[in-house]
Amino acid sequence: MIPDAPGALDLDKLFAARLYAARVRPYLATALFALHTVESRWVPTMAVDRHWRCYVSPGFVDRTPVEELAGVWVHEVSHLLRDHHGRGDRVARERGLTGPGERLRMNIAADCEINDDVFGDGLLRPEGAVEPTALALPAGQLMEDYLRLFTLGPRTQDWAWLDCGSGADGLEREWDLGPDGAHGLSEQERDAVRFRVAQGITARPGNAPRGWKRWAEEAFHPPQPWRELLGAAVRSAASGPGVGEDYTYGRPARRSAGVPGVVLPSLRRRPPRVCVVIDTSGSVSDAELGSALLEVAAISRAVGGRRDLVSVVSCDAAARVVHPLCRAEGIPLVGGGGTDLRAGFAKALRARPRPDVVVILTDGQTRWPDTRPPCRTVVGLFPRHQAGRSWDEDDPEYVPDSPPAWARVVDIG
Amino acid sequence: MPTYTPFAATGTPSDPAHTSQLDVADDLLSLLRDTTTEPRPDTQLETLTLAVAADLPVLLWGEPGIGKTAALTQLAAALDLPLTTVIASVHEPSDFSGLPVVGDDPAEHGVPMAPPDWAVRLVRAGRGLLFLDELSTAPPAVQAALLRLVLERRIGALRLPPGVRIVAAANPRSSAADGWELSPPLANRFVHLQWTHDHEVVVRGLGGTWPRATLPRLEPERLPEAVDFARRAVCGLLAARPGLVHRLPSNETRRGGPWPSPRSWEMTLCLIAFATAAGSSRDVLSLLVRGTVGDGPGLELLASVDRMDLPDPEVLLADPAGAVLPERGDLRQAVLDGVVEAVRGRPEKSRWDAAWELLVRAVDTGAPDLVVVPANTLAALRRPDWDVPAAIERLAGTVSLSRRADDVAARSAAVTARAGR
Repeated sequence: MIPDAPGALDLDKLFAARLYAARVRPYLATALFALHTVESRWVPTMAVDRHWRCYVSPGFVDRTPVEELAGVWVHEVSHLLRDHHGRGDRVARERGLTGPGERLRMNIAADCEINDDVFGDGLLRPEGAVEPTALALPAGQLMEDYLRLFTLGPRTQDWAWLDCGSGADGLEREWDLGPDGAHGLSEQERDAVRFRVAQGITARPGNAPRGWKRWAEEAFHPPQPWRELLGAAVRSAASGPGVGEDYTYGRPARRSAGVPGVVLPSLRRRPPRVCVVIDTSGSVSDAELGSALLEVAAISRAVGGRRDLVSVVSCDAAARVVHPLCRAEGIPLVGGGGTDLRAGFAKALRARPRPDVVVILTDGQTRWPDTRPPCRTVVGLFPRHQAGRSWDEDDPEYVPDSPPAWARVVDIG
Repeated sequence: MPTYTPFAATGTPSDPAHTSQLDVADDLLSLLRDTTTEPRPDTQLETLTLAVAADLPVLLWGEPGIGKTAALTQLAAALDLPLTTVIASVHEPSDFSGLPVVGDDPAEHGVPMAPPDWAVRLVRAGRGLLFLDELSTAPPAVQAALLRLVLERRIGALRLPPGVRIVAAANPRSSAADGWELSPPLANRFVHLQWTHDHEVVVRGLGGTWPRATLPRLEPERLPEAVDFARRAVCGLLAARPGLVHRLPSNETRRGGPWPSPRSWEMTLCLIAFATAAGSSRDVLSLLVRGTVGDGPGLELLASVDRMDLPDPEVLLADPAGAVLPERGDLRQAVLDGVVEAVRGRPEKSRWDAAWELLVRAVDTGAPDLVVVPANTLAALRRPDWDVPAAIERLAGTVSLSRRADDVAARSAAVTARAGR
């Protein structure tokens, strides 16, 4: 590779751009340097494959200023860090998307996910970069969400040439060197690089934009749908030892006939009693609260509870949602009133017979009981998003009481 | 194929047709079962084999019906062990803790706890593969009894001989109908392997060709080296990161999964030694390590293993002319940073010169941009009486590269300032 041969790749320019990109985005330096550059006349601009090779068109490097090249570097490496090829494949399988048109859509959606917060702050937006606003889409969404929001048409006409390579949408290109080609990264190496970058961001979160912080938190722990988590928590609370199903000496076991003279325990089922305490002194949306309550009722039925074994203790603010729901579901509604969660808690525990499981739906802005209650506790925590609210960045000193360690906490919404 | 059919001899006119129908059905079945195998690397199976060989309790997490049992059958065949499958959810706790048998005088002799027949046969054979299926759908009391079997290897009064290996399987929480999950102390005792199906393998298998995995072989001559490597890997990481030694899972998403503790680190050490002795790939090692101490600590360990493979800065400084630098940019930069740090630690003129020589080598053989930071740091280490080495001339390209990036920074700062006005 001789830099001054006609039409050859201007490596100095390309690497100066990478150096600049690594300076303004130090947390991406590992990933940027891990990319292996391959000169290619097939790619329109720059493209990546899933093995962390970066294909570069010499003509594109020639006609693009260094500032913009730096932006393209960061853009391309973002595709790989965010695993767009793997996510693209998964979406394609789940939703049955096939053909190059769909892959182009994935590429555009992936670009939208990256471009809404990757530029600025020293990094110039390359000419012709896709922005969600240009497609009349909201910013800050994920690729999967964008894919539902637009179709190919006149609006996307400008980007029909768009091609960030198989690293962006999972479709193999003819220029790809493939898994056996030189300088590719194995799956484990790719994970290691992504992990180092994520670690760098979580260690020094100050200078990374919000989108990257979210990525770093979720890179190796994708958030699970809260329904599953709440379901698992309630189920394991309701079917744990001592609740619901267990062995008892109250009646002889079916095997007792085979072992005369010995008393064996037998399996008996006692449906769990579930009490839901709803605290909505804050601003939890009715829809969220309603769906969470329905979820708890459905789960407790699934573990063998009957309708009359699910009860609800509500605070006044929630009456609007809770009353009709409970009437419709046939759940007895116990009491009302009281804005302190501890009062509702005590009320739930005073019930006779005592509940096996207490599920608390709250926004967390409350005091918690000092002692561990005599039954299993699951807390469904509604997040609070409003600006200026207590755990916003604007007021980092205020920390609301976190739920106690003896409760199992599931973030809802 | 049986050639003699009992019905045919006593046949009425309708019978021959009937029996021949069954014969035809048999023919069809044997045609369907006539499949071949092809060799194919199987990371999952290799991982499972190593964990079983290391005699650690393995827990396979996987959706129902994706071939966990088939994999176990293949593993048993490969290890030449008879397979015993026990479906946990259809048993009672006493099947695992022992059934009481009343003798003449219980007060005098006590009540012995008799083990079930499969356990007796297993103990008599002295070796075998015990597969505990459907662990997650058994009632809690049965699970408690089973865990004693898995962890203490006891069934009633019997003790399983060392030749018996145990594998358990569970459905993930999302698909377990009446979900049960591992408590952190129990989760910590297992090697967790996620079992998924490979689309290509299934399609090809249904087409008549199933994969035949070539299983890892432990090489006797590599054993001491493997133990040494495993100890260095784990101790090196834990010495630098004491916080990783013990960390209970704190949030709901990670419950029931692997997490780091001295016990699981010991298991990790053992597994690294096995994977090294078998010459397994990094992907296998990654599954094993992440399945034992969890994703975060596992990836940190793997990253530090990667760093262990990097050349030692002192060796490079001793012989800069013969140095071989890694191809991958980020690793290369890590090596160069390490070299500069070594010079900073013991600044001597000869070492400083050697470091410059290494940087020049790096520029000659790879991308120049990643040499910029080490070069700046090294230049800052210069003592007044040290002459600049001649080799530094060849870093001129790097300097201009760096200057070009500076220009961009200045330009874009100007743009931002204008935009802000």
